[in-house]
Amino acid sequence: MKVRKNDKIGIIIFLIPALALFTVFFIVPVISICYMSLFKWNGIAAAEFTGFSNYKNIFGDAVFLRSIRNNIIWAFAACLIQVPLALLMALILSTKPRGWKIFRTVYFLPQVISGIAIAMLWSAVFNSEYGILNGILKAVGLGHLSRNWLGDPSTAFICVLIYGLLYVGYYMVIMMAGITNIDESYYEAAKIDGANRFQMDIHITIPMIRYSIVTCVTLAAVFGLRTFEQVYLLTNGGPANRTSVVVLYLYNQMRDNNYGGANASSVMLVLTGACVIILIRKLLSKKEEK
Amino acid sequence: MAKEQAAKPVKYAKKPTQILGSIVKWILILFFAIYTLFPLLWLLITSLKTNAEYFDNPFSFPSVLQFSNYMNAFNQANLGQMIFNSITVALIATFANVMIAAMAAYAISRFKFKGREIIFALISAGIMIPLNALMVPYYTIFSKVGLLDSLNALRILYTAIGLPISIFIIRGFMDSFPVEIEEAAYIDGCGFFGRFFRIVFPLTKTGLVTAGTFQFITCWNEFVYANLLISAPETKTIQIGIRYFTNQFTTDYVSMYAAIIIAIVPSVVGYIMFQEKVMSGLTSGAVKG
Repeated sequence: MKVRKNDKIGIIIFLIPALALFTVFFIVPVISICYMSLFKWNGIAAAEFTGFSNYKNIFGDAVFLRSIRNNIIWAFAACLIQVPLALLMALILSTKPRGWKIFRTVYFLPQVISGIAIAMLWSAVFNSEYGILNGILKAVGLGHLSRNWLGDPSTAFICVLIYGLLYVGYYMVIMMAGITNIDESYYEAAKIDGANRFQMDIHITIPMIRYSIVTCVTLAAVFGLRTFEQVYLLTNGGPANRTSVVVLYLYNQMRDNNYGGANASSVMLVLTGACVIILIRKLLSKKEEK
Repeated sequence: MAKEQAAKPVKYAKKPTQILGSIVKWILILFFAIYTLFPLLWLLITSLKTNAEYFDNPFSFPSVLQFSNYMNAFNQANLGQMIFNSITVALIATFANVMIAAMAAYAISRFKFKGREIIFALISAGIMIPLNALMVPYYTIFSKVGLLDSLNALRILYTAIGLPISIFIIRGFMDSFPVEIEEAAYIDGCGFFGRFFRIVFPLTKTGLVTAGTFQFITCWNEFVYANLLISAPETKTIQIGIRYFTNQFTTDYVSMYAAIIIAIVPSVVGYIMFQEKVMSGLTSGAVKG
């Protein structure tokens, strides 16, 4: 619609609330973390300009390096484990086996439950004394394998990874939405040519929902980088900072009133996220050129 | 049709590979179902046991259903107040968010003015910003205006951080119906606001509900900022409330489990009632993006 004279005021009035909130809660904070990361600041006293020393400090901190490494591993694991599993489940449920709607509902269920409730529930799963996992192991005669899953450095990381499987349902629903949009005629043609289910999945479904898959990979990577709640609640970064992540690191920096360090790690988080998104988009557009 | 036929292979004489395939298929289907549901069912059953029964055998069924655990959870942790806080925060933040987003989306979707695509691109980029990275500025903003420990801080913050995704969803819906209806209304003398409230608003109802569902669930479940900005007991939301059960009931596990059930029941019931809306709400940003 063209903008008419008496619409102008309306447009401005309608845009102001959104733009004001967006400026205060998105633009200003992003600029502020970049700028304030160059200052030494404890939150109370005047900030002191120190150049890039905050960055030097966090990159000299083994805990930060371990955190960012964990984040990257998580992001990769999410892309390489959750997304392929989600694709597999989407392909299976798209064949509409008996009760597929119920299963879809069930798989998606964890998305509506708060992260904190799930984390508390899963700390009961992994609990060393009265936990479900140890109980099951004992029941099937593997009691010697039972352990303090979250307190043991060799298993804590894996536990947090396993927990990530709860999010498979989310990616699955996104891909299923893509699959329902595929024109049936492709499958009919393939069937006339004698293609079986597997061939149709590989040559029709997967290429046709490529965009959904890339979206899921992006989301999985981004969520992997943002991980906080589950780690904070399941292990709080322990044992010995082995499961720490960047957001937890920045949260702890803030608690210690090292706002400069917190801001520097925030900037690193935003930058890594932006790089990952751009990288994945680049890879996607290359594929499309072919 | 073709897909359904492919799904149900010919009834007679299945090949061994097909049988194997369907066994693997069902193992996977059931594995994920059990993986999701078993802990939840276990939680529900355990929340109805006594502590002694739970310590004795984590997998036993309660001999008598202990509904008193739920009373305990309510009384000891002031859950009633927390639930009330969460409801008012989520309702107000959802209403304000959808209203503001719809207004902005209307201006962006219906009118060709300079810079509208730049504004939209900027706002959409907000979806990808890791909000957890903005803890320091958000904390600073609210401590400066004296809103720490206030539910209004959460209401304002949730309204704001949900805007990019809401505007994105609602604009998508508004773009999908023709401008001609409004042109006609304009010729009939219907003004800017009249067209918004009488025509566009009712026509985009699905979009508003989708965005609203997403927003409500996010607000109800939000933990990080509630935890950061609120510490007074009377302004805690239910999600921070159940977190502190870990400290309060060091031995009273069953009441803690009862409290978790109380915290998740509203979202699960809402989800079961509005499944399709919830699923499309939670994924629409991704599907259309």
